[in-house]
Amino acid sequence: MNTHELPMIIFTVLAQMSVGAFVVLGVVQVVAGRRFGKESVDKVTDPALYAIGPALVLGLIASMFHMNDVFHTLNVVRHLGSSWLSREIVFGLLFAGLGFLFAVVQWFKWGSPRLRQALAALTALVGLTLVYVMSMIYYTLETVPAWHSWATPAQFFTTTFLLGSLAVGAAFMGALMWRRRAAAKSGNVFHVDDATRTMLSSCLKGIGLGAVALLGVEFVIIPMHISGLSAAGGAAGRSALVFSGVWFIARLVLVFLGAGLLAVFLYRYATPTAQVRTLAIIATSAFVLVLAGELIGRSLFYDSMVRIGM
Amino acid sequence: MAEKLGFYFDQTLCTGCKACSVACKDKHDHAVGISWRRVAEYAGGTWQQDGDTVVPNVFSYYTSIACNHCEDPICVRVCPTTAMSQGEDGIVTIDQTKCVGCRYCEWACPYSAPQLNAATGHMTKCDMCADYRAEGQDPACVAACPSRALGWGPIDELRAKHGTLAAVEPLPDPAITRPRLVITPHRDAQPTGSGTGFVANPGEL
Ligand code: SF4
Ligand code: SF4
Repeated sequence: MNTHELPMIIFTVLAQMSVGAFVVLGVVQVVAGRRFGKESVDKVTDPALYAIGPALVLGLIASMFHMNDVFHTLNVVRHLGSSWLSREIVFGLLFAGLGFLFAVVQWFKWGSPRLRQALAALTALVGLTLVYVMSMIYYTLETVPAWHSWATPAQFFTTTFLLGSLAVGAAFMGALMWRRRAAAKSGNVFHVDDATRTMLSSCLKGIGLGAVALLGVEFVIIPMHISGLSAAGGAAGRSALVFSGVWFIARLVLVFLGAGLLAVFLYRYATPTAQVRTLAIIATSAFVLVLAGELIGRSLFYDSMVRIGM
Repeated sequence: MAEKLGFYFDQTLCTGCKACSVACKDKHDHAVGISWRRVAEYAGGTWQQDGDTVVPNVFSYYTSIACNHCEDPICVRVCPTTAMSQGEDGIVTIDQTKCVGCRYCEWACPYSAPQLNAATGHMTKCDMCADYRAEGQDPACVAACPSRALGWGPIDELRAKHGTLAAVEPLPDPAITRPRLVITPHRDAQPTGSGTGFVANPGEL
């Protein structure tokens, strides 16, 4: 396990999760909006949208701790023409800014739905570019074989969508449970109308299905990456040794339990008549397990920094 | 245009005494853990069987390395703050008023030249003793070498005199950063990428 890169581990995973969640929310809006109407979809997606903000801000704050002299942080945008790290900061801030703007106009329902949709699309595009730029920071280091591989962008995007979709599932159920508890406190019986039930269950079904598919992708990337490194020998071969042992196995098991077992469960159990509580527990545990697995995976990624040369 | 400077190193003369490393540490008063010039010991070998006799065939040689003030410095390319920059004379230096201590250059350089000073939070590296050179003196490492294995000067002159070799194990492929470094190889020098041996003193690099 790598602890001195903790700021980078937290920042990259949270930023990717935020981008993924934002994109998945957009997909839900478009797909479910057509079937159930924009109004009722907004009611479910808005709370999840506002949950992205704190996650992203936390990630950005964590990234500051990577700098050994925080007082010089403003300098990091000086080399946009050549440094992917400069570009990462700019796109990170751009995504955060646009996301914030979108959350505000969505909250006050400012502008026409069309306009808001265009803003969301732009934010999603900037977010996906951010993930690409992040992967380029590592991919372009030809002196680090474990990073200078197609597996870096592939893994970053897989993490983005896997964590993003499970986070959205957890946020949907979390918001629902929260409203239920609030209603119970004030002595009311919380009633979820049928349309919302149908919509939620089909969203969760989709998320479960997506998670299983992405798990499959991840379980192809990982062995291909490791065998490629081992075959290359030298520094590459030495970095492949990082992907073994307890932490590596823990990572695989956690992701498998969350995105495999529980996601299948979610897919099968999510029906309009299902117990809300049970659904909430499944969706949240799937998310937590995969988050833990991906954090360990990212830590191993930083551990695999073995340079060629001396 | 100013002449670009580089280092020369003669593997056939180096005895691995590390006087260059120590002179550098002393001159720049480095904290424990920072060492701009380091001496790698590369060793390896095989057995040869001839009838009933098994003969060992082993090698070991030293390579003294600091920053090579590369022609295509990957450290400068990746630095987000432009703190890492290359001067007219090809010398790559770090502007301490700009560096944010992100360590991206450290990840990138295949010679481990940039090293973090934990006290200031900034990166540090060899500037070929700019102060000494300004006074007409040799860099500390070059002056300290008892075997006269190290040299410095305009790289064109060094290359005209000693050739252009820099692709020797354990050094990386020079195509990556195009180091301003010329090496006279040891008789057992292994070409870069052959992987026939190993660095025997990794903790010192
Ligand atoms: S040796 Fe490393 S630090 Fe020095 S110029 Fe080359 S890439 Fe940069
Ligand atoms: S540590 Fe300093 S010199 Fe190195 S890349 Fe970062 S800002 Fe540039």
